[in-house]
Amino acid sequence: MKTTTFRAEVQEQLERIGQADIIVGIPSFNNARTIGHVVRAVQGGLAKYFPDHKAVIVNSDGGSSDGTSDVVHNSSIDDFNAILLHHRVSPISKIVFPYSGIPGKGSAFRTVFEIAGVLGAKACAVVDSDLRSITPEWIELLVTPILKGGYDYVSPLYHRHKFDGTITNSIVYPLTRALYGKRVRQPIGGDFGFSGSLAQYYLTKDVWGTDVARFGIDIWMTTTAIANGFKVTQSFLGAKIHDAKDPGADLSSMLYQVVSATFELMETYAEVWMPIHGTEPVPAFGFEYTVGLEPVNVNTVRMLNTFREGLRNLGEIWFDILGAGDFGEVERLGALPDSEFRFPIGLWAQVVYDFALAFHKRKLPVEHLIKSMTPLYIGKTASFILEAKDMGQTEADAEIEKLCMEFEKRKDYLVANWK
Amino acid sequence: MENFIDLILDPLNGLFLKFKVFVPNFLAMLVILFIGILIALIIKRALMKFLTAISFDSWSDRMGFTKLMRKGDLWSKPTATLGTIIFWMLIIVTLMSGLNALQIPAIDQLVSQFFSYIPRIFSAAMILIVGYLLSGFISRAVLITAANSGFHYAKLLAKAVHTLLIVLILAMIMEQLQIAPSIVLAAFSIIFGGIVIALAIAFGVGGINAARRVIEKDVMPKREEETKDEIEHI
Repeated sequence: MKTTTFRAEVQEQLERIGQADIIVGIPSFNNARTIGHVVRAVQGGLAKYFPDHKAVIVNSDGGSSDGTSDVVHNSSIDDFNAILLHHRVSPISKIVFPYSGIPGKGSAFRTVFEIAGVLGAKACAVVDSDLRSITPEWIELLVTPILKGGYDYVSPLYHRHKFDGTITNSIVYPLTRALYGKRVRQPIGGDFGFSGSLAQYYLTKDVWGTDVARFGIDIWMTTTAIANGFKVTQSFLGAKIHDAKDPGADLSSMLYQVVSATFELMETYAEVWMPIHGTEPVPAFGFEYTVGLEPVNVNTVRMLNTFREGLRNLGEIWFDILGAGDFGEVERLGALPDSEFRFPIGLWAQVVYDFALAFHKRKLPVEHLIKSMTPLYIGKTASFILEAKDMGQTEADAEIEKLCMEFEKRKDYLVANWK
Repeated sequence: MENFIDLILDPLNGLFLKFKVFVPNFLAMLVILFIGILIALIIKRALMKFLTAISFDSWSDRMGFTKLMRKGDLWSKPTATLGTIIFWMLIIVTLMSGLNALQIPAIDQLVSQFFSYIPRIFSAAMILIVGYLLSGFISRAVLITAANSGFHYAKLLAKAVHTLLIVLILAMIMEQLQIAPSIVLAAFSIIFGGIVIALAIAFGVGGINAARRVIEKDVMPKREEETKDEIEHI
């Protein structure tokens, strides 16, 4: 197993710390605005819920130029009395360093896994550095199932606006659930808890020179845990609110990153997912409560226009991937007026499976294949928004459940065509 | 009388001597041709088996070569086509080697010219294959990017990019094969320059309004009525 070599000062720090029970990793890149709050929340969580455990916060940074590392160094809770009865006896160590390897979240996580190994950690958690809604309770909810419940992997559960997380809701969740038979609601949530032994298992996989090191780490961690039989659970963390993403961030690039990682894992674990039939719920921790969410503006007219332009221009590519039958259905959708536009869930499941099969058969270069799916995804998203605009959260969730059932129902088609 | 007989016999003698020298060369040519054809056949069969084993036909379908063949009225399988091309290339090489064995100065010169031309043919073929693959890849990337951003003429733009690249590749091939290089250079400059000027005029004059809209969209503040998407996709 190839390992990264820590810098001398990190090595010294690790030797000084010697051993730790809990590691909390915070990957970052230019998050000076938000990381201070995250560090304080983590410190608060460790101090409040794990006062008897030796804990280390690891900030694995991708070479920020906005002073992120300084903010991490200088961030600490001023008044422990505000959240605690007593001040914690042993201070929480902080390790702040720039990671080495391919730039990306995966490389940052890899160093967290390695530090967990060096310090012999029993439980680890990773949280995003742009979170605004993180509270000390998140740490408890991500770490306790590992330390006390005997679980190996804790996936998050959030309350999000019914229109948010559409890649998760319409592709990653239904697909992962149908493939591996576990209803893990947020497989790419970004905030996870895992055991020290699972961290070491991750390190045995030779994926650190691939896209996993860059962007596919979230789905890779979840799928690796499920497919290799680790004990998986979920924790309800509340609302997920994070720093506004770059509005110019390209949707097709995002889709490519997430979907290519998911499809690539289908190749790796084909022998695991093929025989699985049906799904089972995954236990969940935490007290579920309703949170008020800010309204989300959407422009379905523009979205449907993008879908129709996609159909007009990418029709030949879609025809090769979907075949005459499903493509004919998609063509029919293109002719519908906006008010009547509905993307049938059965057709959408078929589209996702057809793209997975085209990926498997290498029908097109991967990036072209998945990016050509963007207008279809936008059409599906617009359809969901039109359907769910007057629905409450429960009804919108029920729609997602129906979609998942459709993925499960049609899995035989995927298995039969996967040669 | 003796002189007269010599006059008749000497040319015949000379002819016989030349024939005596020619026959072994001719036999050598026949042997070379026979062995060459045999080797070409064996290589063709082995190559076709290898290509079938590595699913060359499927790869060719994916890369668009099969479509290109069909456009060129070639209806056999890509495996068979490549096998036949390699076979005939070996036959030509065999034929040239066989002719070389005849040791006739005029043919020798032709053969040496042929062999000195082979590297150019090879590099031209490489430019054709790599260029075709690259032009397909780039034009598809343009098509998908433009379509994803909702551009109405994405297909037209991709076709224009593809045509431009094919023109560039053909010019490079002609230049490599030294087929009327000065004419090719002039023709290429005229066509390429013409296309660029045509585009400049089309977008510069014909597209003034479109350009204004683009600039207004980017520079001017967004109109109130336009709803901004706030969905978080992940």
